[in-house]
Amino acid sequence: MELDFEAIKGIIPQRFPFLMLDRAVEIEPGVRIVGLKNLTGNEWFYQGHFPKRAITPGAMICEAIAQTGIVFFHLSQPTLQDVTFLMGALKIRFLKPAWPGDQLRIEVTPVRLLSRAGILNASVSVGKEVIAKGEFALAAKDNREL
Amino acid sequence: MSTINIDQDVKAIIAEIIEMDPDKIDANAHLVEDLGMDSMMALEILATLEKKFKIKLPEEELPKITTVNRAIELTRKYVK
Repeated sequence: MELDFEAIKGIIPQRFPFLMLDRAVEIEPGVRIVGLKNLTGNEWFYQGHFPKRAITPGAMICEAIAQTGIVFFHLSQPTLQDVTFLMGALKIRFLKPAWPGDQLRIEVTPVRLLSRAGILNASVSVGKEVIAKGEFALAAKDNREL
Repeated sequence: MSTINIDQDVKAIIAEIIEMDPDKIDANAHLVEDLGMDSMMALEILATLEKKFKIKLPEEELPKITTVNRAIELTRKYVK
């Protein structure tokens, strides 16, 4: 199972400049997902991070992880409607930088999934090298409560 | 695993997640109202207890984790 960019937009509400996922592949609901994000030199955040040397901000890598997790959660719990996911605990270790031209491969697997929340494991790689890894938590909140 | 170890380990897990000294936690204090636990911490406690004791706690048991003592009781119930 795969999702292209348009299908991803049908699942998560983020849009430019905050959509950090181009495609999802190797999808097994409840088991795993792999998100792909192609980084180009035109990304908005490289203007300031940094003007003399473009390096992908760790915060944006976390955002890509979270968005991959949200897609995974929606596919794993398809009855969940009209919710926004909020990120809770985040324990990510950054091992190497990501540069313009890299493709982030974000693999997410569940540590524990509940009906409306979950702890997920993430491993982000570029080519064969893992550049970030760790755990994060997501919780669904009804939109009318926000 | 002895019940003493379970008691100590459960308390230590909760203390670490809610960021308190285990010796200063009243085992009957309400985790949310008295000790400031939020829903994400509750989820983390659930997952950590499951990992530590190699058990699976049903989701409906999560709201029952209201105090350290309740968490200990629940863990004992599922540890074989």
